[in-house]
Amino acid sequence: MIEATGLTKVYGAYRALDRVSFEVRKGEVVGFLGPNGAGKSTTMRILTCYNSASGGSAKVHGYDVFDEPLAVREKIGYLPQRAQMYGEMSVKEYLRFVADVRGIDDASFNKRMRNIVEVCGLGTVLGKDIRQLSHGYRQRVGLGQALIHNPPILILDEPTSDLDPNEKAEVLEYIKEIGKDRTVILSTHNLGEVEESCARAIIISKGRVVADGAIDEVRARGGRVRYQLLVDEKAALRGTAPSNEEVSAALGAIAGVLSVKELPTDDRAHGFTLLGNKSTDLRGEIFKLCVEKGWLLLEMRRDIQKLEDVFKSLTKGDEAADRLRTAAPADEDDEPADEDEDDDVEDEAGEDASDDDDASDDKADSKDED
Amino acid sequence: MSTTLNIAKREFRSYFDSPVAYVVICLSLFGLGGVFFNYNGGFWQANRASLEQLFVQIPRALSWIVIPVVTMRLIAEEKRSGTLEMLITLPVKDSEVILGKFLGAWGLVLVLLGATIVYPALMFGAPWNLGALDSGPVAAGYLGLALYSAAAVAIGLFISALTESQIIAFFVTFVVLFFLHVLGAGAVLSMLPQRAEYVLTFISFDSRLASFMRGLVNTRDVVYFLSITFGSLIGAFWALERRKWN
Repeated sequence: MIEATGLTKVYGAYRALDRVSFEVRKGEVVGFLGPNGAGKSTTMRILTCYNSASGGSAKVHGYDVFDEPLAVREKIGYLPQRAQMYGEMSVKEYLRFVADVRGIDDASFNKRMRNIVEVCGLGTVLGKDIRQLSHGYRQRVGLGQALIHNPPILILDEPTSDLDPNEKAEVLEYIKEIGKDRTVILSTHNLGEVEESCARAIIISKGRVVADGAIDEVRARGGRVRYQLLVDEKAALRGTAPSNEEVSAALGAIAGVLSVKELPTDDRAHGFTLLGNKSTDLRGEIFKLCVEKGWLLLEMRRDIQKLEDVFKSLTKGDEAADRLRTAAPADEDDEPADEDEDDDVEDEAGEDASDDDDASDDKADSKDED
Repeated sequence: MSTTLNIAKREFRSYFDSPVAYVVICLSLFGLGGVFFNYNGGFWQANRASLEQLFVQIPRALSWIVIPVVTMRLIAEEKRSGTLEMLITLPVKDSEVILGKFLGAWGLVLVLLGATIVYPALMFGAPWNLGALDSGPVAAGYLGLALYSAAAVAIGLFISALTESQIIAFFVTFVVLFFLHVLGAGAVLSMLPQRAEYVLTFISFDSRLASFMRGLVNTRDVVYFLSITFGSLIGAFWALERRKWN
């Protein structure tokens, strides 16, 4: 359905996209992930024929985005980032306008409207001017206009940015509903959303695709497993309760433990996150250690690395590489490394991937890079 | 074509969704009325059943206020607010966007021009019957105004497509149209050598409009206004296409 081959976009000396290739098959819901300025919006604008690529090609529904832009746009519904619509029009007028431009007749418009009002929850605001709507409702209208012609492909650029958690959850719910019988590609820098609503993820960083596959596959790319445990701080089976350092040192000494990081806890327990390889299960060893020492193990949890960790390690390593590249006397790329071509500036606060309690990035930086 | 008309319709209606259209039309009609009857001795001193004053003043009112106001937001505002991306990613050609916006804005100006027909209708028809009006120059004058306003709106549209700022679009359009008017003024021409005078007269709006006012529809003037219109529309189209490569 969507096929990008070697897409490159150059703004002056700045390379926003560097040979980006991927394919989205019919019926897939794909998350297009990347930090701000990674090139997500640029890619989407090329796919919707708003911008042209400097190199490479892309096909949407079999049509070339450069040669047949109108045919491409007929087949897609597009919701740009922070969708802006004509504020002075009412919701119904706006949808009518979009339908007119798309050449939809009255009968099918009315039929589609019923469906859209239901799916996007627009019933109460149809007569209101768009400028009076809250951000969440505007986003729903944006989704509505993208669906008005019942397109086989939906391209959504950060559909949940700037929404509050309730609105976010709602919009995601709509997307899930819509994605049941459509091909959807949605960009975001919020990983939770991808895990929730997409089956597949493409991670892009600094204009390059750094990972592409089913969510589980991508998640497994880190090749690590995380263990979280709580050890009682006040009591023990035998002797005195252990100190923080004691537990930390003993855990670090177990063969196969890659890192130990303390978790913030209350004064009843010591909490730790351990990182181990996927091939070895450390739970037995940890349990044995606690029994040997006479510690009270309150909780132990093992989970495959979160997508967030993989994302961090992939994109962070890339940034490091990028810094090296700009430090070298290279002839291209004299822009600052964090130059942002698709005006995401206000989203910086939304970079929420950093406050997590994980230990992965300490060691993950230089590994799994490709 | 229907896409173009849909865009034009939306554009035209949007003027009436905000106070812009009402303010512009009312103020222009009041202003014109005042100028027509009082400025420079006004209508009564001339003592002729002629609308010449009207045809001299309308283009100036249009160029110096109305058209810059009407065209400044056409593309600039859409670019700034981001609605352009929504519009262009619908199945529309860039040329249809330009043409639709042009027709929408020109439509509003034509409505305003149409409203000025109230003057001759009231004065020379019922209720005041001020005399027999020579309808030839009036018809030619209105044709000239329609052609002139097409050219001026196209220029405004082109300038609006070059920037993201309505204010810049307003001032640049104002300055360009201002000069296109005053270039042909006698005071300017008398300061210049013969050859320059010829060139300036050739490109001046005022001198082009003069023959229409006298009832003379000259192909050269028609072609002149049409060329400016098409040239500016092509310029605007090119300015809109530019986004693809920037």
